[in-house]
Amino acid sequence: MSPRILKRLALPGVFLVICGFFALREPAFLGARNLTQLVVEFAIVGTLALGMLMILLTGQIDLSAGSGVGLVGGIAAVLVFEQGWPAPLAMLGALGVAMLLWWLMGRMIVRGGMPSFIITLGGLLIFKGLFWLVIQNSTIPVARGDTENLYSMLTTYYLPAGVGLGLGAVIAGVVAWVQWRGRVVRRRYGLPVMSEVRALGQTIFMAGAVLGVVVILNRFRGVPLSLLILSATGGVIYFLTEHTPFGRALYAIGGNEEAAIISGLAVERVVIGAYALMGVAVALTGLMTTAYSGASTTTVGDLMELDAIAACVIGGTALKGGRGTVMGVLLGALIMTALLNGMTLLAVAPEMKFIARGVVLAVAVWMDARWGR
Amino acid sequence: MALADEEWVGRPLLEVRGLTKRFSGVAALSGVNFDLRPGEIHAICGENGAGKSTLIKLLSGIHPVGTYEGEIFIGGEVVGLRSVRDAERAGMAVITQELAMVNELSVAENLFLGRAPRLGWRIDWLEMHRRAAVLLGEFGLEISSETLVGDLGIGQKQLVEIIRAIDKQTKILVLDEPTAALSDVEVGVLLGQLRELRRQGTSAIYISHKLDEVFSIADRVTILRDGRSMATMETAETTISEVIERMVGREISTFFPRGERVVSEEILLSAEGLTVSAKKGWAPCLRGITFELRAGEVLGFGGLIGAGRTELLLHLFRGWGYRLGGEARLLGKPLVDSTPGDSIERGMTLVSEDRKRDGLVLGETIGFNLSLSSLRRFTGVGWRIDAVAEAVRSEEFFRGLRVKASGLDVRVGGLSGGNQQKVVLGKALMTEPRVVLLDEPTRGIDVGAKLEVYELINRLAGEGKAVILVSSELPELMGMSDRIIQLAKGEMGGEFRRGEWTEEKLLGAAMGRQV
Repeated sequence: MSPRILKRLALPGVFLVICGFFALREPAFLGARNLTQLVVEFAIVGTLALGMLMILLTGQIDLSAGSGVGLVGGIAAVLVFEQGWPAPLAMLGALGVAMLLWWLMGRMIVRGGMPSFIITLGGLLIFKGLFWLVIQNSTIPVARGDTENLYSMLTTYYLPAGVGLGLGAVIAGVVAWVQWRGRVVRRRYGLPVMSEVRALGQTIFMAGAVLGVVVILNRFRGVPLSLLILSATGGVIYFLTEHTPFGRALYAIGGNEEAAIISGLAVERVVIGAYALMGVAVALTGLMTTAYSGASTTTVGDLMELDAIAACVIGGTALKGGRGTVMGVLLGALIMTALLNGMTLLAVAPEMKFIARGVVLAVAVWMDARWGR
Repeated sequence: MALADEEWVGRPLLEVRGLTKRFSGVAALSGVNFDLRPGEIHAICGENGAGKSTLIKLLSGIHPVGTYEGEIFIGGEVVGLRSVRDAERAGMAVITQELAMVNELSVAENLFLGRAPRLGWRIDWLEMHRRAAVLLGEFGLEISSETLVGDLGIGQKQLVEIIRAIDKQTKILVLDEPTAALSDVEVGVLLGQLRELRRQGTSAIYISHKLDEVFSIADRVTILRDGRSMATMETAETTISEVIERMVGREISTFFPRGERVVSEEILLSAEGLTVSAKKGWAPCLRGITFELRAGEVLGFGGLIGAGRTELLLHLFRGWGYRLGGEARLLGKPLVDSTPGDSIERGMTLVSEDRKRDGLVLGETIGFNLSLSSLRRFTGVGWRIDAVAEAVRSEEFFRGLRVKASGLDVRVGGLSGGNQQKVVLGKALMTEPRVVLLDEPTRGIDVGAKLEVYELINRLAGEGKAVILVSSELPELMGMSDRIIQLAKGEMGGEFRRGEWTEEKLLGAAMGRQV
């Protein structure tokens, strides 16, 4: 096999090895119940990591994401539980706050010429303080009594089996159609296209993977709503990074900011925009993870910024900017989630979990330094 | 004062014989000879690219022994300098244009960087400042040794650098354009110090474009042209005009394929009394720049390094610096505080001089770089880039510019300089500009690629675009331009029409004197 193919298979290989290890130690790891939980946790880590990808692409960083996750979940919980707001409105309000905060941080970094490392480190502390103020250091449930609302349903609602399967089929069909259509148009203009066998193989693999996941999830309770949120986030960020001038600018700024400026790109606006979008990712993650734990407590979101950065770097994102893909980050998030989930399942002591997370982060950065261009 | 030729009997302090240095087969120096006598200031003059910096790098050990042919003698013995350290041990102190000082440290700390006086493990601060004060006093510098270097003016910095370079072992001082950034007063102080050092027996090699300085300080002058030492003369027995003649005196080859140009009456870009400083409150680095650029015309900007040519282009294209006066117009509309995005939108594009620093995203592909300035042209509804339209257009430029690579998805970082430059040019031209600003477009690329760039410039002019060509190579300017403006220290040194110019006139104008 050529080195390029080996490189592409490395991450899926690592993922399978991790899954194999946990499955051998604890067969319940591959049970439908645990796999469903793993998918929800993957949705939470993945959404934040996708936001982080845009920040890292520009060569910046965001250390405040974890605190922000707690803060957003806390604001929404207080609005629902104590102020009696309808859940959708409360969630929208919290999302607005996150966007505003991240837009502000982006402005300070770009216009003030301040290093993002420090600004977001300040954000980490400030948001944590605000978070604890908002929830008064207590535990605020996401719904009153035993009732359900949109907020609590984020991680407890599952699509009925038929709907899940239908949706999976539609998604696979749309992706296949877009790919086929792209080939036809490119060929009409005499542009190079990949061989038919490869294209067909890719499409079949993609459709198989989507439907396979749905079938497995249907064995438990169905496709979780949070997976749809992750898919939508992934789709939007994929479109932004691959198909828009905004995405090109992200890569150009991280690759060579001076060249991006001379090329006439709106460098400042793009970086601020990336932070505002990170605010949205933080909000979505905050709402999901708070819903997942059922209530907002002081530890929600702790260290999640590091999991997100680790997921990005494991997935091939360069810390100095200019390199990284949505697919890579999703794979990195999957590996990260499998590790965390497996360790919880094996009842690994919390102190060992901290150490393991740290080692994974260090190894990922070491790989970036060693094999990154 | 060094002895004149007929009285000279002793051995030279430093002598080079038959120095030849090649870079990938191209000779930067071929058979250079010259000698430096004890207590002499010896100037080396030549055009940009004549080989002066290569010579210094050989003398200072940056290009170590074995990478060149010929011999260097110090005190009558052949030396093989392997490193800068070796050169320092041999008594050489080299002061280059780039100052190697730590702005955040004090003058004293900079003077004794890496060799601070010690008391056991500790630094002896009192002794350090005492010695620093003595040195500053000797050089007539009225600054405290505790001042941060970052707070000094550029001239004072230069002097501190010189003080640092000179210690007891220094026999030969090599100064590379030491006054490029100095004001007239500071130049006076520096030259005074050099005369004092000469009186104490230090010799100096003095490299400068400023011939009036050369004539006021140097005992002899050696002229380099195209990597050869053309002549060594006593400054007392020659004239500035003669030196200039010796520096140029080169045939302009028929290398420049310039066709007949039709320059229209339409003025696309103009400046009137443009005066700009690097920052608000600083002294202007461009003064009273006035020109008109017409459709179909190639206007050359020449001048010495540091004359303000790049600054002028950056000011026009991206609002660099702070405008103190004057005005500029692009297609008839005022050009104020421009940004690259606005300029491109309004039909002006820039190819900057350092393609790796601000031209290309090296880690990305040819296709990515080519379309980077033109993405708006490919976006329709909903911000989506039409990848097909983009690829079709990029292919067109890829083929048209004859970029040598297997396809658009090749990374630009691995391309040769000439091919990288073609990608930068393609990126600029894809924006469909009317005014094209080219800053040293052929720097560091091979002859074949140069020719292609010249053909491209002709084609642009033929299409009715207006081109500004900034170049340090006089033959290139003379071969390609319809008019040439020489900048001298940020001012208009002279404006010449095709047919009016000679190399002597152009070089004289660049040095701020009318020949």
